[in-house]
Amino acid sequence: MFGRSRSWVGGQGKSKNIHSLDHLKYMYHVLTKNTTVTDHNRNLLVETIRSITEILIWGDQNDSSVFDFFLEKNMFAFFLNILRQKSGRYVCVQLLQTLNILFENISHETSLYYLLSNNHVNSIIVHKFDFSDEEIMAYYISFLKTLSLKLNNHTVHFFYNEHTNDFALYTEAIKFFNHPESMVRIAVRTITLNVYKVDNQHMLHYIRDKTAVPYFSNLVWFIGSHVIELDKCVQTDEEHKNRGKLSDLVAEHLDHLHYLNDILTINCEFLNDVLTDHLLNRLFLPLYVYSLVTQEQTEDRKINPQVSLYLLSQVFLIIHYQPLVHSLADVILNGDLSVFTLQTEQSAHKSSSNAGVRRFTKPLESLERSLEMSRQRGRKRAQKRPNYKNVGEEEEEKRGSDEGPEEEKEKAKGTEASSKASRTSGDKEEIEMVVMEKCRISDVSTLTEQNITDEEKSAAAAARSEGQKSRPFLDMLYSALDCDTEDYQALFVLCLLYAMSHSKGINPELLERIQLPVPSQERNTYSQVLVERVIRIMSQAAQPDGKVRLATLELSCLLLKQSVLSGSQCIIKDIHLACLEGAREESLHLLRQFYKGEEIFLDMFEDEYRSMMSKPLNVEYLMMDASILLPPTGTPLTGIDFVKRLPCGDVERTRRAIRVFFMLRSLSLQLQGEPETQLPLTRPEDLIKTDDVLDLNNSDLIACMVVSKDGVQAQRFLAVDVYQMSLVEPDSKRLGWGVVKFAGLLQDMQVSGVEDDSRALNIIIHKPTSNPHAKPMPILQANFIFADHIRCIIAKQRLAKGRIQARRMKMQRIAALLDLPVQPSTEVLGFSQPSVTSSLPFRFYDQSRRGPAFASVDKVPGFAVAHIAQHNSTSSSSSVSPSSSGPPDSCDSLTASNTSTQSQTGLALAPSLTPAPQPTISLLSDNDAETLSVESLTLLPPADPPRLRSFSTQSSIQDEDEVANTSRPEDDCTGVRDAQSQDISIIPEEDESSPESGPLLAGETEDLMQAQREEPVTQPEADSMGVLANQEDNPDLEEETAID
Amino acid sequence: MAYAYLFKYIIIGDTGVGKSCLLLQFTDKRFQPVHDLTIGVEFGARMITIDGKQIKLQIWDTAGQESFRSITRSYYRGAAGALLVYDITRRDTFNHLTTWLEDARQHSNSNMVIMLIGNKSDLESRREVKKEEGEAFAREHGLIFMETSAKTASNVEEAFINTAKEIYEKIQEGVFDINNEANGIKIGPQHAATNSTMGGSQGGQQAGGGCC
Repeated sequence: MFGRSRSWVGGQGKSKNIHSLDHLKYMYHVLTKNTTVTDHNRNLLVETIRSITEILIWGDQNDSSVFDFFLEKNMFAFFLNILRQKSGRYVCVQLLQTLNILFENISHETSLYYLLSNNHVNSIIVHKFDFSDEEIMAYYISFLKTLSLKLNNHTVHFFYNEHTNDFALYTEAIKFFNHPESMVRIAVRTITLNVYKVDNQHMLHYIRDKTAVPYFSNLVWFIGSHVIELDKCVQTDEEHKNRGKLSDLVAEHLDHLHYLNDILTINCEFLNDVLTDHLLNRLFLPLYVYSLVTQEQTEDRKINPQVSLYLLSQVFLIIHYQPLVHSLADVILNGDLSVFTLQTEQSAHKSSSNAGVRRFTKPLESLERSLEMSRQRGRKRAQKRPNYKNVGEEEEEKRGSDEGPEEEKEKAKGTEASSKASRTSGDKEEIEMVVMEKCRISDVSTLTEQNITDEEKSAAAAARSEGQKSRPFLDMLYSALDCDTEDYQALFVLCLLYAMSHSKGINPELLERIQLPVPSQERNTYSQVLVERVIRIMSQAAQPDGKVRLATLELSCLLLKQSVLSGSQCIIKDIHLACLEGAREESLHLLRQFYKGEEIFLDMFEDEYRSMMSKPLNVEYLMMDASILLPPTGTPLTGIDFVKRLPCGDVERTRRAIRVFFMLRSLSLQLQGEPETQLPLTRPEDLIKTDDVLDLNNSDLIACMVVSKDGVQAQRFLAVDVYQMSLVEPDSKRLGWGVVKFAGLLQDMQVSGVEDDSRALNIIIHKPTSNPHAKPMPILQANFIFADHIRCIIAKQRLAKGRIQARRMKMQRIAALLDLPVQPSTEVLGFSQPSVTSSLPFRFYDQSRRGPAFASVDKVPGFAVAHIAQHNSTSSSSSVSPSSSGPPDSCDSLTASNTSTQSQTGLALAPSLTPAPQPTISLLSDNDAETLSVESLTLLPPADPPRLRSFSTQSSIQDEDEVANTSRPEDDCTGVRDAQSQDISIIPEEDESSPESGPLLAGETEDLMQAQREEPVTQPEADSMGVLANQEDNPDLEEETAID
Repeated sequence: MAYAYLFKYIIIGDTGVGKSCLLLQFTDKRFQPVHDLTIGVEFGARMITIDGKQIKLQIWDTAGQESFRSITRSYYRGAAGALLVYDITRRDTFNHLTTWLEDARQHSNSNMVIMLIGNKSDLESRREVKKEEGEAFAREHGLIFMETSAKTASNVEEAFINTAKEIYEKIQEGVFDINNEANGIKIGPQHAATNSTMGGSQGGQQAGGGCC
């Protein structure tokens, strides 16, 4: 071990142990002999410097005499000497690496003090390295960063010189704040934060007085320039090609905001004042807020309202510094354009400075120059007043005497006032620092006045009723909530409102004044304007061709809940609740149009529910996504998340309809204080779980050997329950009972034969997952070997049958949820009837439900077709009416196609009762159809008379609705069938056109309310819903749920 | 010295797992690992060759910046590769991996290659985390995994180079947008003229190597 470390010493090794004082002495000798860097000794010097590093670190950890020697001989001076000889990149890099290692690895405080004590480090910091070399740059900035990590109240004195007003570590670092290399910029930010963190008043005063204005004004300009580039990127985007660049720019903006927030959270008050002033008056107000209302392209530096809304949302989501965000929110919510114009007048007579307008302008000189000027100035002043310390004190005294208790009282407003005052800081001033000082004075003089104005304003605002005051920004927000053509801006407005209402930095009173929802705050009123607009978004989302994205809808729901739920109470007005119920009803209708018996529908339905529950919207993440900055698109080819775009194709439209329904249903239930009883379709607590002990007396059990993929074998009994299959082993305690070793949902199961073994089955059960990108994870993948092939066939049939039945029962639950007629119960209960499982072709079950082309097995309408074909004397249909998925305006063609179906089947059924063709996706392959007819023979008993009743019920209501609506040919058709009394009222799809077209009118709402009162929405009629009732009574059948 | 690509790496993981030692071990061979000397560095660069192409690796240690949210998120974003390091002799450093990974995944660009490293494999007697556990974690989260020792230099080369290979493959597949420097990848200067003087740590390294 020891030997190896020495091997490199090679030729020069006079000392046996390189980690020793002796060896350092030798190195010193080498340095003294080679004070001038030449081509010949360069390598030797580099190696010498390198090994000195190693010895020093070793010394720090093992032998302090090493450090003593290093200091005694002033070896740092040799380093500097070498550095100053312009000895080239090679040597520079080595020196910087050495310094990095030295400061990084030193563990003893005293060693550190030694190294810093003679100001050599500062000389190295100010050395003009060749920063065009990326490696030198990287080592240099890392060196500064390493040093900044060592800063504390003691060490800061080695870097900040009060007398000369020098703080090279900081001033040299911030010169690189806009370096093209991101890692360098990050390092600069780290250094500044490490500096601000040190609680040394003198140093911080220096920072504020000499560097804060130049640095922050340049930083703000830098951020603003990025914003303008970002905006340009949005403007010039074609076909979403700019997305890569856009997401970088957005991430950059986020980085900046987080950085600003990190500075503000350090909570160094006077730095924050300067920063707040610059951010507010040079960036957020003139660039972001002003862009909300200006329509014309008068100023070339305007950004688009949607970009500005997006960025403002980010600001409120990330920055919580009270003086900043409160002032900003105040302007947005209460302010008018006078904040941009009045200011000029005010400042005109308050200060001689002529450029007091809030404007996004470039600082007149570069940061480097400002710092240089300020440094020189500092020197001059230092001559006059040798100790800077005095200056600070003096100033503070003055402030104290002038402002006194008033300032404390108005602390919250103080910054605002001061920032308003310092708005007078001129762009045309030579040195901004001077302006800064002027501001401080004018600050004092304007403070009182400003406060009065503010109080007057707020008093006036309180006195006047809401809406009378001109609030162009707020008006803009509300009007942007209109989603008639698109929800591009609406999404951002919702985010912004959400962000403001959740901001810790905004005084709740401000929000309450305009009745914006403040979470967890008791209240008895809410903003009607907001609520009405939000409900309107919901109503639009429920339209078949609504342009509302799911994210927008979810956020609307969030905001509505926030607005009208006060504690555990819901304060929503009846009229608004009625509108909301109307929207929910529409979503129900929309979903009914998509309801199909297809296998995939059930999967989608459950999957959407899982996604909704498991991934609630995170607004912060949403606003980090640059893709929403581009106009909403429908195509998934962009890779944009489904909830952030419009649906594409029938499958996605179905998913969307499902999700809209879920969201509005959940919202409606929550606002009415009702618990959800029907969703999810299977609750985990109802399922059989591993280690449950079951009474299996009188159950059908099939013994088998389960051979898992990795070859583990186990003897088990296979039991098939309503929703699950389970593998049990006998309970040792009770005869006839079994302990569950595995339980899986039948609906997620795939059964196939094993090629060369007629006694074996291959069974895979997938885990239901809410993440569509995740690979389907099998929770069971095994071969089941039975005693003989007869048992094997029985098992296969039982499983396959069970799978179909499990799925069918769930489909019926969905139908019940959608107030659609449900098939009679016999077939469901018939599961236990042995005859049912008789002659099913195996190949049918071999299809994977996850297989290609939606291999579909369980189609309710499909059954209907088959069934009708077989029993065409009965006019009953086991099917619901899955009316066309097309838009409602196509009803004429729909009727036509329905009629043709009718004639084909040779039945005198109402068009709405016959299975509608499914024009968009045909999931029925010939093969399936054939199978289905075979199956339907064996499975479906003749339909019960009650079926007829519920159907005609539906028609009759449609008929009745005709009275209200203009009659349509389609209705006439259905109306003919109206012979029975009406039990169920289902608002037919024809209804949807009216709420869609008009605004939310009271009259209409009343109508809807009427309809709802007549209709027990969640309580299906006993006869048609007999199955359901039955199921609910029967705990065995009640078991349903998704396993997660 | 000219390079075809420059890859930026970051090293993340709990304090004391040996991040900076790994970094120094990889970037500068002249610092031989010795048992009585713990030495590390927060930045390093080194040239490697993949597929006949010169590739420069620039590695930034993110230690000490955890308290600032803005800094961590920026670091993640600017890197093409990340070494996520834990200490096999300290169970807690392994337990924290999930948090690190979540952070990395949330802030980094989705193509960032993450390598999981169980460091201090030389301290077998004090091992608290089994190699299999590391492997399982890596498999579960789609990471490359390796156990290394900065002390004995075992697997250190491989860890950095395999990560680079993965990034390189992604470039070949067109997954990375190499024209976008925000991804942590830079295309090298077309002409090596400015770099006529041999230099950099790779130069130093060669010099150091010469001494061996």
